[in-house]
Amino acid sequence: MVRKSKRIDLRALEGVITFFGSHHAIRAEGLLKQREIRAVLIPGPREISANCGVAVRFDFNRREEAEALLNEHMVHFEGIHHYPER
Amino acid sequence: MVHGIGKNRGFAVRFVKTLYFDNAATSWPKPKSVLKSMRSFFLKGGGNPGRSGHGRSIGAVRVAVRTRELLARLFNVDDSSRIVFTKNATEGLNIAIYGLASGGGHIVTSSMEHNSVMRPLTDLRARGCEVTAVRARADGSVDPGDVAGAFRKNTRFVVMTHASNVTGAVNDIAEVGEVCRERGVPLLVDAAQTAGCVPIDVQAMHIDFLAFSGHKGLMGPQGTGGLYIGDDRLKRPLMRGGTGSLSDREEQPDFFPDRFESGTLNIIGIAGLGSGVEYVLNRGIGALALHEGALLKLFLRELDGDERYSLYGPCAGDPRLDIGDPGPGRGPYVRQTGVLSLNIRGLSPSRVGQVLDREYGIQTRIGLHCAPSAHRTIGTFPDGTVRLSWGPFATERDVRRVVRALHAVAGEGAGGS
Repeated sequence: MVRKSKRIDLRALEGVITFFGSHHAIRAEGLLKQREIRAVLIPGPREISANCGVAVRFDFNRREEAEALLNEHMVHFEGIHHYPER
Repeated sequence: MVHGIGKNRGFAVRFVKTLYFDNAATSWPKPKSVLKSMRSFFLKGGGNPGRSGHGRSIGAVRVAVRTRELLARLFNVDDSSRIVFTKNATEGLNIAIYGLASGGGHIVTSSMEHNSVMRPLTDLRARGCEVTAVRARADGSVDPGDVAGAFRKNTRFVVMTHASNVTGAVNDIAEVGEVCRERGVPLLVDAAQTAGCVPIDVQAMHIDFLAFSGHKGLMGPQGTGGLYIGDDRLKRPLMRGGTGSLSDREEQPDFFPDRFESGTLNIIGIAGLGSGVEYVLNRGIGALALHEGALLKLFLRELDGDERYSLYGPCAGDPRLDIGDPGPGRGPYVRQTGVLSLNIRGLSPSRVGQVLDREYGIQTRIGLHCAPSAHRTIGTFPDGTVRLSWGPFATERDVRRVVRALHAVAGEGAGGS
């Protein structure tokens, strides 16, 4: 598949949300983007979690807002981590 | 009607433009958007949902999430992850029935259930469960008071159809839900005949578990369906296996939807189902119910009171489509779905069905409709009935053509179609 979407600089997004299942990861990505919190799906880093294959990298500065948003919409996540891109 | 003679491997064939009146078995035609979504997934997508982090796998999860979210909107479910996909309503019913009955106890049901409920319950009875089947009224509807009267101390759950697949009689599930909530007993509803045809609000109607098929009122392809699991007393799935999650462990995940979705999902079907549900939401569930009701009224105007016919269902002899406002938050209450069961005096249902099909190109379903107990309840066992069932694309013109054919078969106005 050819990706046309504009590149997001992942280094600016220092937070990672991990999930148990992929349903919740996809919902989280959609809700965060709707709220205009920058977010992108990434392969789940094994160092943080052995769970779901996908995680969401997002703007860690807005973590409280993000957490409240996910709870409000019953999106179940495993954890929110400060995990800058290396 | 289009007649003609053609050649098919040397045999003369009579062409008749067919009319499909068996939508209670599976809907046809489907919206074009359903095929479009399936085609698009086949050509451009194709990944296995949740198994990898690459685009095609994530794309497949997006398809499942979209369909789950649309279903959640239709049924007023807060947490869409509690809608799990199955291959049909039967599988959803089996997951819920066997999961809730583990450990034995008493189960309440109705005499109008389809074999998708009756056969699991018969099996459970042989394994030591007690089952009470509340007898429905002659029109096929169940009195919620009778359900309340059937409760025992050890009643584990109530399983009931939202609408009979034989008579189309819609049950007052909101009232049954109220009774169940008062007693603290979970309610499992079989929505095979109503999902996409009649408003369903799992919160206002106190429905704990909702099993639905995707290929009937929801306009999806065959092989799709689902189960909404709103109560944690259902713990055990029927199957266990790969989910793409917790791959380092050999125990089944305990979270939704993975706990109840082992093995690769029918994503191409789920893609189509999503567009079917979207079609229902766009047309509006109330508008669809009124459309099917208007066609029912037309049938009744033409057939009710004619002594050559026996009509079954709550609107026969009383064609009010709804019974007014059933109370706050419950949504419009429809008494009968787009289904009409009938018999022609002096003719067997199989004979009528055969003539309608061969002579008039009208496809109906005759016999017992996988619901022998329901036919015993309305007094049509063992011959059954001729069941006419229509969908969102049926027109008044179609109904008039069916009526003319029925009159012709019944002996008046022969050849009148």
